[in-house]
Amino acid sequence: MSAQNEQEKELAQLIIDSLNLEDVNADDIDPEKPLFGEGLGLDSIDALELALAISQKYGVQLKSEDDHVKETFSTLRNLSAFVQANSVKSSI
Amino acid sequence: MQAGSALINRQPDRLIAQSEGGPLSVRQLIAFTAHVAGHLPEKQYVFNLYPNPVDYLLGFCATTAAGQCTLMPPNRLDTTLDAIRTDYPDSYVIGPEVSGDLDIRRYSKYAEESGLGSDPVPVIPDSQLCAIAFTSGSTGAPSPNLKSWKTLRDGSISNAAMLLNGIDGAVNVISMVPPQHMWGLETSVLLPLFAESAISHHTPFYPLDLKDALESTPMPRVLVSTPVHLAAMVRSGLEFAPVERVLCATAPLSSSLAEIVEKVFSTHLLEVFGCTETGILASRLTTCEEQWTLAEAFNLDTSGGEARIAAAHLPSDVRLQDAVIKTGDKRFRWLGRHEDLVNIAGKRGSLADLNRRLQSIPGVIDGVIFFPGEEHGRLAAMVVAPNLGTAEIRDALRHQVEPAFMPRPITKVERLPRSDTGKLAKQALLELFESMRQSTGAFS
Repeated sequence: MSAQNEQEKELAQLIIDSLNLEDVNADDIDPEKPLFGEGLGLDSIDALELALAISQKYGVQLKSEDDHVKETFSTLRNLSAFVQANSVKSSI
Repeated sequence: MQAGSALINRQPDRLIAQSEGGPLSVRQLIAFTAHVAGHLPEKQYVFNLYPNPVDYLLGFCATTAAGQCTLMPPNRLDTTLDAIRTDYPDSYVIGPEVSGDLDIRRYSKYAEESGLGSDPVPVIPDSQLCAIAFTSGSTGAPSPNLKSWKTLRDGSISNAAMLLNGIDGAVNVISMVPPQHMWGLETSVLLPLFAESAISHHTPFYPLDLKDALESTPMPRVLVSTPVHLAAMVRSGLEFAPVERVLCATAPLSSSLAEIVEKVFSTHLLEVFGCTETGILASRLTTCEEQWTLAEAFNLDTSGGEARIAAAHLPSDVRLQDAVIKTGDKRFRWLGRHEDLVNIAGKRGSLADLNRRLQSIPGVIDGVIFFPGEEHGRLAAMVVAPNLGTAEIRDALRHQVEPAFMPRPITKVERLPRSDTGKLAKQALLELFESMRQSTGAFS
């Protein structure tokens, strides 16, 4: 699996904390594998929960287009890139 | 002559939907229906897989006018669809992902071009089977609930009186619930056929979606949602445009959340009670009443030790899966759900079925899926499987269990606290669960 960068690592931990994924380690999340369905098996309620956690931590509000299967949410890498590009809070 | 009634009981110039392309009148919907009904495959059953309620409404009208019956699977898992397809081989799919003619949106120009209103409103026989809503039975096989036109129509007329009571004029309905769910079908697809309401094409999911959807929808607005979605909306801290009424169903709502929702949306919240077998049954204003009021059309009988619902438009009496106490002719108090059933995000599942699936995974010696409590919010699993990792167990479950019911966490244990008779006491289970959580916490 490809390695996580620093921001991806931080986001992976946020995913685990906000969704109570107690049986998953942050390092185990492949940044290029799907987060939903296959992969971690997250569902739409998880997407909502994660969106709230992201808005609180990074000040980024997610928005879906017509359907909820978003490119942004497809992998840790895409999600992290989206958050970094839209973040209003500078990371410390 | 066989009894029947109009598919749409509204004046032709009234608005029935706010589609992406603009407002859609009853006359336009009838023109579309008349055209498309003649172009559908000659099959008896149809899966309508449009996630958007306006597309779903168009599809429902056309297929119903063609005499077809809509199959409503309890989820979108391939295994679920395949199982239903096996039982209903004379079926086909309409939806955004099918090719060619079966994506009925390609006919939308027939709605736009109509202006003469010469098409007659299709008349649907009372006895026509219009929908089969499947629930997950305790055996795991989807169990069918048959909905005739009489059932859907009379139920919808009852719903309109309850849900829109006291609101003047035509409302715009915004739904956060998929139309494939009974709660979504009744509010976003059937209600506009019989009541002064137009369904919006918006399907808000994230808080910002809802904010935008409300701001682009004219007043009076009615929001259809669920406790879990409403909780996320108010936690976002965003400011929302006011709505006339919030309709909430699928799971119990706390009065404290109801109060916050009323404040955030400057509105009244009507909590709605129902099930797939009966449709919408009862309602309450959660912030000021604890008891539920049945709709006029229904009667509740608790004399036999179980709660039975009867109504002239239902094919037979329905035994509720809930424990209730009748407190008046049309009033009752809800106590809870029967043990085996869990309801997560508006989906009903059977623990017995989930446990059978877990225990049938090769390598699993013993295991249990259970609901630790509202605070945890999800199912959890404890599994005895010395040669499997939790990831392997999760992968094996994923193909047969829908995401809402996936247990989390999956904890491996040496053995389950079974009694001499092999039974698992809930208390012993919860104690083991707590001790495992604390011990794993110590190492993290």
